[in-house]
Amino acid sequence: MTGYLLRRSVGAILVMWAVATLVFFMLRAVPGDPIAAMLFDVGDADAIAALKAKLGLDQPVYVQYVKWFLLVLQGDLGNSIYGSRIEVSRIVMEALPRTLSLASLAFVIAIVIAVPAGLISAIRKHSALDNMVTVFAFLGLAMPDFWLGIMLIIIFAANLHWLPAIGYAPLSQGFWPWFSHLILPAIAVGTPFAAIIARMIRSSMLEVLNSDYINVANAKGLKKLRIILVHAFPNALIPVVTVMGIAIALLMAGAVVVENVFAIKGLGRVLIEGILNRDYPVVQGAILLVSAIFVFANLAVDVLYTVIDPRIRYDS
Amino acid sequence: MSTKKYYTDGHIRRQMKADHDHALDFDPGDPLVGLHRSDLAGPQLERRTVLRLLAASGALTAVHLLLPGVAPDAHAAAGGTLKAGWAGVGEFRTLDPAQINQVLLFQIASNVLSGLTHIDPQLVARGDLAIDWTASDNGTEYVFNLREGVTFHNGDAFTADDVIYTFIRSRNPENSIHSRVVANVADIEKLSDHKIKLKLKAPQASLLVKTLERASGRAMTIVSRGAIEKMGTAQYGLTPVGTGPFRVTDHSLGQLITLEKFDKYYDPERPKLDKVTIQPIIDAEPLAAAIEAGDIDIIGGNPIAAELIDRFEANSDLNVSIITGPGFQSVWMNPHRDPFKVADFNKPVAELMKEKGFKVRLAIAKAIDRDRYIERAQFGRGTPAYGSINPAMGFFFDESLAETSNQRFDVEEARKLLADAGHPNGEGIPPLKILHTPSARREVQVIKDILKRNLNIDIVLDPKDFPVLIDAFDKMDWDLTRLGSGGDFDPDDGIVDWMQTASKFNGRNRDKEKFPFGFFSDNEVDALINQQAVTAEPKKRRELVRKLNKITSDKVASAFIFHPADILVYRKSVNFPAQSRIPGLVDLDRVTIS
Repeated sequence: MTGYLLRRSVGAILVMWAVATLVFFMLRAVPGDPIAAMLFDVGDADAIAALKAKLGLDQPVYVQYVKWFLLVLQGDLGNSIYGSRIEVSRIVMEALPRTLSLASLAFVIAIVIAVPAGLISAIRKHSALDNMVTVFAFLGLAMPDFWLGIMLIIIFAANLHWLPAIGYAPLSQGFWPWFSHLILPAIAVGTPFAAIIARMIRSSMLEVLNSDYINVANAKGLKKLRIILVHAFPNALIPVVTVMGIAIALLMAGAVVVENVFAIKGLGRVLIEGILNRDYPVVQGAILLVSAIFVFANLAVDVLYTVIDPRIRYDS
Repeated sequence: MSTKKYYTDGHIRRQMKADHDHALDFDPGDPLVGLHRSDLAGPQLERRTVLRLLAASGALTAVHLLLPGVAPDAHAAAGGTLKAGWAGVGEFRTLDPAQINQVLLFQIASNVLSGLTHIDPQLVARGDLAIDWTASDNGTEYVFNLREGVTFHNGDAFTADDVIYTFIRSRNPENSIHSRVVANVADIEKLSDHKIKLKLKAPQASLLVKTLERASGRAMTIVSRGAIEKMGTAQYGLTPVGTGPFRVTDHSLGQLITLEKFDKYYDPERPKLDKVTIQPIIDAEPLAAAIEAGDIDIIGGNPIAAELIDRFEANSDLNVSIITGPGFQSVWMNPHRDPFKVADFNKPVAELMKEKGFKVRLAIAKAIDRDRYIERAQFGRGTPAYGSINPAMGFFFDESLAETSNQRFDVEEARKLLADAGHPNGEGIPPLKILHTPSARREVQVIKDILKRNLNIDIVLDPKDFPVLIDAFDKMDWDLTRLGSGGDFDPDDGIVDWMQTASKFNGRNRDKEKFPFGFFSDNEVDALINQQAVTAEPKKRRELVRKLNKITSDKVASAFIFHPADILVYRKSVNFPAQSRIPGLVDLDRVTIS
């Protein structure tokens, strides 16, 4: 297992390097001069040239790449090219807790909804409850998360005044401020994943419930709840855990639209604003972090398989 | 020590009548309209001087005659926390005035930092860190008496050395993107700890309103040397230290800025609030929900989406304050491309009118129904524009241009011009691409509809992110572009920045062999702009500004569309006094919460 983990970790780092390199060169191929845009109000060609030289953006792309790569190896992600030229690591690290908070809460909401819904749907196949869960799943998948977010704001914030409409409060300000700011965006982001996971649990459970060993358990007279939770559900989890792993990664990096709606500066917004503004160092740093999240989430899921199903082993 | 004035109703009426009579008591033939040069010196223009200038320009209204501080504010009380949302922005990248390039940023910085002067709601310069000043007869030397007893937020005393430090920092392009703003300042000499002499290379009319002003110029917004040296420029940009009424106590990147009352501000009556929090809110609907829910009390930042204003006006919990804004927006036509090609603008208008390309330009400008555009694109809010000088400039604005401009709306005339140019009913004109930012899509759609309806010209929308748009605009790689200017407090902001051959926005990255000039070039306009820039006498300067504004309008430097309104939305619990209602700014030092 240790050998497997080491091999996968090395592979993960190589994947991160490949993604970061691809993004580095693709960014510079995108039209639009960030320095000219930044200094549009100044309108001085000499000032633009001077700033480009200062930031090293006048050098050949491969030279810029080597310099950036060497800095990254030293743990330095560089500085934003805008405004106060803040360290990229600071920008990303300030955004990360907000994204972690939102993703965690959204994931919990998704699981809390999906697991009972999927189980009930599988056990009571073709019943009214099953149909309700199916409708919920389709609605959850069909509704854009930003639309759901806006609706939640209108209902719970603007009309009922139960919850704040926008913003983020760190946990250090207390549990309720943190939770009250995050619950609406977490529902908006988590609902589509709840729908996907619920459907996955249903289909996986149906397959397992038709297995011979479940028939034997039934024949032996075991209690139904025990059969479902102890014998069937763990075996149905393997494909579900795969989806959950992908969900976590997507939640960490892909909630940009909901972050915009709720004015939360998370990783998604850092990435999108960096791309729109051609803030190369910020995009490169954020992409590195996002790719790390994806590959290591994938690795964690693979390790989790061995916990769920002890028969699974990776060592040759 | 402050002096409070208390007024009875009768006193108010008598005072206003006296001010009105005094304002109108001048000989129209007198170029100084009965004023002396000393009247035009600092610390601020006296109230009666301002009223006289407004009367001389025909811009005096009853609002101007209202006595300051008289408007009752019965339930206002000092203290409390104001929650602000800044529209259309994702984060505040810097508050270092040397790096600020957006109006929404200097709106915040104006509450934290000070300048030698600060504009008032009539865009007239008043003393800020300067108590008063005198100017030499030739207008190249100014002596400023600085306010004593002022401290920075970090406890450092403010002295003449800080003014000199700010100047040295600003004139170095490595430190400041606004070094051009102080290019005309030859030197600043320290006469004493609270007295400086400022020497100019040439007289400069916009010195007080632009170069030395707290917010708009940014080059001479006074910074703390001690703070910069201690925290570094990167951190200073996030938590700047100044002498303003508020100090920055926290800045969570992209999330929230917290300002707290500076107890040692030079005016003990200000600020009124204890705390202000400002958060960036990029999307329109969450912004609306936030103010309706009471999560925020006031909206600043970028202009609020026009489609929200009706909704806010219908909300009984909200105040919507609309005044004329300091800017203009245009549709620019590339003079190097058919069908509006103009090889040389240096001809009388009558000569230009014989050219096909100019006829098409003028036809397009005349076909744009500005009232319809404002009604449909801006939901009825804005002022039709025929030049770059905006109504907020008051004294310099020429209301008659709407009637006298060559560009005034006339569909029949526009169609006739197009037909004379060989394109009856738009025949032969290929679809024209119009560059615009994604956020301006709806407005450009209205332009497209108007030109199709009135001239049968097809317009193709070409949305581009700002960096890409600017790249193309600078290189003259476009047919039409929808672009304009904001935060224009002095005529120089509109005409120097846009209308000169060498203006900073005028095709600066073009191939100069292929394109001898950018989007416009006229020698007479260039000369008039240079002349007005060094003309300190207001009425004379106004004549020059109005003359060149008319030329740029008649020669269709661009199809001027409208002057945006400055709209401030805040909850009724917020008291935003008229004294603070400066176009383009959100000064919070006199704001209270009921």
